[in-house]
Amino acid sequence: MATTCSINITSDIAPGLGSITKDMTLTKAGTLNDLEETTGFSRRKLAATTAVDIITMANELVEPSDNTAAKVYIRNIGDGKGSVDKSTYVTISIGDTGGTPQEVGRLYGGDWLLMPLTVVDDKDVVAAPSTDDAVVLEYIMFYE
Amino acid sequence: MATTTAAVTLSSDLLSDSISVSASSTLMKAGTTADGLDMVDYGVIEIVTGDQFDLLDADNPASSPIAGVMANKANKVYIANHATDETYYVTIMIDAQNVGRLYAGDWMFIPWAAEDANADIEITSTTGTNKIEYALFHQGRTLNAS
Repeated sequence: MATTCSINITSDIAPGLGSITKDMTLTKAGTLNDLEETTGFSRRKLAATTAVDIITMANELVEPSDNTAAKVYIRNIGDGKGSVDKSTYVTISIGDTGGTPQEVGRLYGGDWLLMPLTVVDDKDVVAAPSTDDAVVLEYIMFYE
Repeated sequence: MATTTAAVTLSSDLLSDSISVSASSTLMKAGTTADGLDMVDYGVIEIVTGDQFDLLDADNPASSPIAGVMANKANKVYIANHATDETYYVTIMIDAQNVGRLYAGDWMFIPWAAEDANADIEITSTTGTNKIEYALFHQGRTLNAS
C-alpha cells in the first residue's frame, strides 16, 4: 500500500541548470511505513472570488495525527471543459476562512502544487479564485 | 523565451482502484501565455537543529530598491530534504504560519505569493542536520547596487 510522487523540473534558464528529478514515497512521520489514509481524489468547481475551504481539517478526523507527514496535491485544470486560462489564478492559502489565512501562492491555469500540511484544525486549505469565471481544482490529501 | 517545465507523477494504491495522476506545467510569468519565468535561485544548504532560518526572503534584500518586486507574481519554489535518516525532518513555515513537515526524502513544489515583506519561507530543523535543496523560479529580481 504505497503512494509515490515524482517530480521532474527541466529548464533552459541557464545552460548548467539541467534538470531536477526526485522521487518520494509518502510515509508516516519518522518511519518507513506508508501513509494509509486519503481524502480520495476530488474535483471542485469555483465560480466566485469568495475564499472557500477545499479541505476542512476538522472534517477529516485526523486530530490524532496532527503535525505529522500529510501531503496535498492541487491542480488548477481551467474551466473543466478543456479551456485553461493562464492569465487567471486561484490563490491557495492555509488557515481559516473566518480569519486571515496565510497565502501560499497563486495557481495559474494548469499549475499544480504538492506540499506538506499540518492537518491541524483551522489550518484548512483555502482557495480563492481571481475572477468569477468558472475554474476547477483537482486535489487529493494523504495523511496518517 | 525561457522554458521551465515542472512535471509530477502521483501513484497510489490506497483505494480499491489505483490512482495515477500526471501533470505538467510550463512556468510562465504572471498572467502571460507567451513569456516564461526566466530567473532562478538554486542552492543546497545544511540546516542545523535549533534556530529558524529564512530559506527564501520575500523582501530580499530588505529595504533595497528591489524589495517586494517578487510580490504577487507567479514564483515557484521547490524544496527537497535530502536527509537519509527517516526520523529527520524540517518544518516549513510562511510568515510564521506552519505549513508542514518535510521528512527525509520528501519534496514540495508550490507557488509562492511573497505577498509582503513578512511572507518569507522559513525553515527549522528539529532533528539532526538536514541537507536541503531548493530552487526559486521567478521573474522579477535584479541585483542591488553595491
